[in-house]
Amino acid sequence: MSEAQLTSPVGVDAVVVSAPAAGAGTFWRRLRAQRAALCAAAVAGLLVLFALTAPLLILLEGADSTTYHPELVDSARGGVPIGSFGGASGSHWLGVEPQTGRDLFARLAEGAQVSLGVALGATLIQVAVGVSVGLAAGLGNRWVDQLFDRLTDVVIALPLVVMALAMLAVVPEDFPRPLLVALIIGLVAWGTIAKIVRAQTIALKSLDYVAAARLSGWNTWRIARRELLPGLAAPVLTYSALLFPVNVVIESALSFLGVGVKAPTASWGQMLAAADVWYQAAPQYLLLPAGLLFTAVLALTVLGDGVRTALDPRAAGRLRVGTRAGQGPAAPAPAADTAPRKEGAV
Amino acid sequence: MRQSSVIARRVAAASVCLVLASGAAACGPEDSDAASGDDAKPKKGGTLRVLNSEPQTDFDPARLYTSGGGNVPSLVFRTLTTRNREDGAKGTEVVPDLATDTGRASKNATVWTYTLKKGLKYEDGSPITSADIKYGIERSFAAELSGGAPYLRDWLIGGADYQGPYKDKGKKGLDSIETPDERTIVFRLNKPEGEFPLLATQTQFAPVPKARDKGTKYEEHPVSSGPYQVVENENDGERITLKRNPHWSRETDEERFAYPDRIDVRSGLDPSVVNQRLSASTGADAAAVTTDTNLGPAELSKITGDKKLAARVGTGHFGYTDYIAFNPKVKPFDNPKVRQAIAYAVDRTSVVNAAGGSSLAEPATTFLPEQKAFGSTGHDHFPAGKTGNPAKARKLLAEAGYRNGLKVTLTHSSTTVGRGNPETAAALQDALKKAGITVSLKGLEDNKYGDVIHSVKDEPGFFLTGWGADWPSGGPFLAPIFDGRQIVRDGANFNTGQLDDPAVNKEIDEINKLTDLDEAAGRWGALDEKIGKRALVVPLTHPVYKRLYGKDVRNIVISDWTGVLDISQVAVK
Repeated sequence: MSEAQLTSPVGVDAVVVSAPAAGAGTFWRRLRAQRAALCAAAVAGLLVLFALTAPLLILLEGADSTTYHPELVDSARGGVPIGSFGGASGSHWLGVEPQTGRDLFARLAEGAQVSLGVALGATLIQVAVGVSVGLAAGLGNRWVDQLFDRLTDVVIALPLVVMALAMLAVVPEDFPRPLLVALIIGLVAWGTIAKIVRAQTIALKSLDYVAAARLSGWNTWRIARRELLPGLAAPVLTYSALLFPVNVVIESALSFLGVGVKAPTASWGQMLAAADVWYQAAPQYLLLPAGLLFTAVLALTVLGDGVRTALDPRAAGRLRVGTRAGQGPAAPAPAADTAPRKEGAV
Repeated sequence: MRQSSVIARRVAAASVCLVLASGAAACGPEDSDAASGDDAKPKKGGTLRVLNSEPQTDFDPARLYTSGGGNVPSLVFRTLTTRNREDGAKGTEVVPDLATDTGRASKNATVWTYTLKKGLKYEDGSPITSADIKYGIERSFAAELSGGAPYLRDWLIGGADYQGPYKDKGKKGLDSIETPDERTIVFRLNKPEGEFPLLATQTQFAPVPKARDKGTKYEEHPVSSGPYQVVENENDGERITLKRNPHWSRETDEERFAYPDRIDVRSGLDPSVVNQRLSASTGADAAAVTTDTNLGPAELSKITGDKKLAARVGTGHFGYTDYIAFNPKVKPFDNPKVRQAIAYAVDRTSVVNAAGGSSLAEPATTFLPEQKAFGSTGHDHFPAGKTGNPAKARKLLAEAGYRNGLKVTLTHSSTTVGRGNPETAAALQDALKKAGITVSLKGLEDNKYGDVIHSVKDEPGFFLTGWGADWPSGGPFLAPIFDGRQIVRDGANFNTGQLDDPAVNKEIDEINKLTDLDEAAGRWGALDEKIGKRALVVPLTHPVYKRLYGKDVRNIVISDWTGVLDISQVAVK
């Protein structure tokens, strides 16, 4: 996966041209009309539920994610789980991990919390920083705009994984690791959202209702809060929905590289890293976290796409996951007039 | 000054121990009969391929740091003595190579005399003389050819100040090595060293003809004294081709068979690729072996399910111990009861599993490896059983004043392969939890980890590490770790428990005087048992090496000295 794909979800350039937000009712109506998005929402919902209820589910199963069970692995054969399907049984629903005998279901459930939690935290940080910087740039004078816009350019140009590797190496060991990973992803990858917010702010502030607000003596802060933020909600929400699965992938990539969460905490990426050599001897050990990761990213991406369609039906025709801008049937791709730059559209 | 240079070399020593330990593996005695069943008599001829992960970046006898003369190098460099090329415990014995015997000691083992066999020749037909061996050793003192073991510099009279022959032109070289005639060489040491014959197996004891020496460029074509000579060496040892040395004679070399006509070494391969190619065993890979790649646990679990493949796996040992080390200067590890509690709490089953399972590691209760040559007594001062004794550990902790448990930090390397790996750390964390000890793990990047644990100033209280043997004896195992005079305050220190007990130091000196290696082994074993009571270290595992070889390879012999398949014995079908 290339850096561009990691950091920029599909079709970010065109969101900016969206009109002011549709009402909540319209949004739900449009979202419900998309079967794929509904299925994705259901799957994503189940995964979130899985993550939220993980402690309960683990309690129900009666195992935990860190206790070693040496008696459940065949030590003489390298520690492969004893029994079929990776040693699956009533007390270990999905079998156990090779070499350690730790419960796989408990680790997957705990991994769901880490993977989704870190991605959510990272997305929230990205939105907070991106909106602040974008608004400041869009509303500030020429110098402020230049300063923030160049800063954003620098941040966008930073190679995320390399930056994350460097930052994770210098932070003290005892800093809570999941929080750290969320912070790093959030603080390194907010550039595109800031660009979008800046462009939309510039577009909105020349509109009549904003001008009217300004003429009636409102200060900049009040204009931003009352008049601009509602107009920004749609593109920001859309973009966040697409950022979320990307952050899931980044977290798993960092954990896969060994710099994410630390033992004995599980995350899907960290499980994948440990499992890659076992693909022949204990396939379920690799397939379970890989399958969950794949399902989560696919569901969240399709859902994000659905959210965008519901918020901005005009973009729907030309921006579908897996289609190139300009290929769709209704593709009067407008010149990306307000979009500052074109980045990594699929 | 002297100390700091010793330190640098000790660091090198430790890292080579690591390379050896992680790479050393062997094809097994238990399977060799089955493999050679279809044509029992090994034949001359053919090409043997060697698939390795680590390139042979040094091919100069002065620079090599090998246990027992190495594997590919020992096909080209003969030494005064060498390791016995036999399976099992016999493989840990030292035997004559260029010399007629393993050395004659006099003056309390401070003077060692060797006589060369008759008729020894280099690859160009010129005779090998004792002066060439002296010169080979002298050039290993040159700064530009550093890399070998520190022992020669430490043991030979005047060794500490000698700078090598390039800076010492025209003089007669190192006085403490005398060559009264072409076949005699005498070494004078500054203290008794009964294990000198074991040191004489290292490649620094290979002859180098002074007229052919090209300094650092000598490794491009070292002059062979062994059964093969170098045809080409590409990409800094990534691809090496050897052919027969026509002037080598089996009559003067009882140890090497040299069946194949050519040896084709290809390295720089990923370990999984090496094992994949050996298991497929197609084309030229059918006559292939590896001398540095071990089977991993996942590969092992797949191979054991396939009878034909399993028959091509051999087992070997190399003297190595993975262990927990304590720094008793750091609280709470100053309290022996805390250290003992941890020793009791260790679950060796999960630790063995973390090291790859019972086929790749044996549980260790003694610091000395279990082979006979080390003299290990098999003691177990803090019997933790198979899965630990948390009740006893809690009792000891309570006596030490930690009734409500204890919180500690375990430092380890963040690198998965090699000593102090995170898997072992995580297994210990789980086991110690049962004894009420909450362990937080501190994984350090490998270089930093090495710096920290070998610094008297920064040494953590509780960490994982490992130690390997320069030769199969208690000497190079116990002295660097427990001799109080080897505590290094301003450099790389390996006496991590900072033990300085006059009785221990004296016993080390006494054993070094012994020239009867069996008697010495017994004394080393007893010393290990005595030191073990202090719980300065908690031995965890001794590694076992599982090695896969190609289907056309015959006459498999594994050295229990190096744990590596001995390619001087191999024949191809």
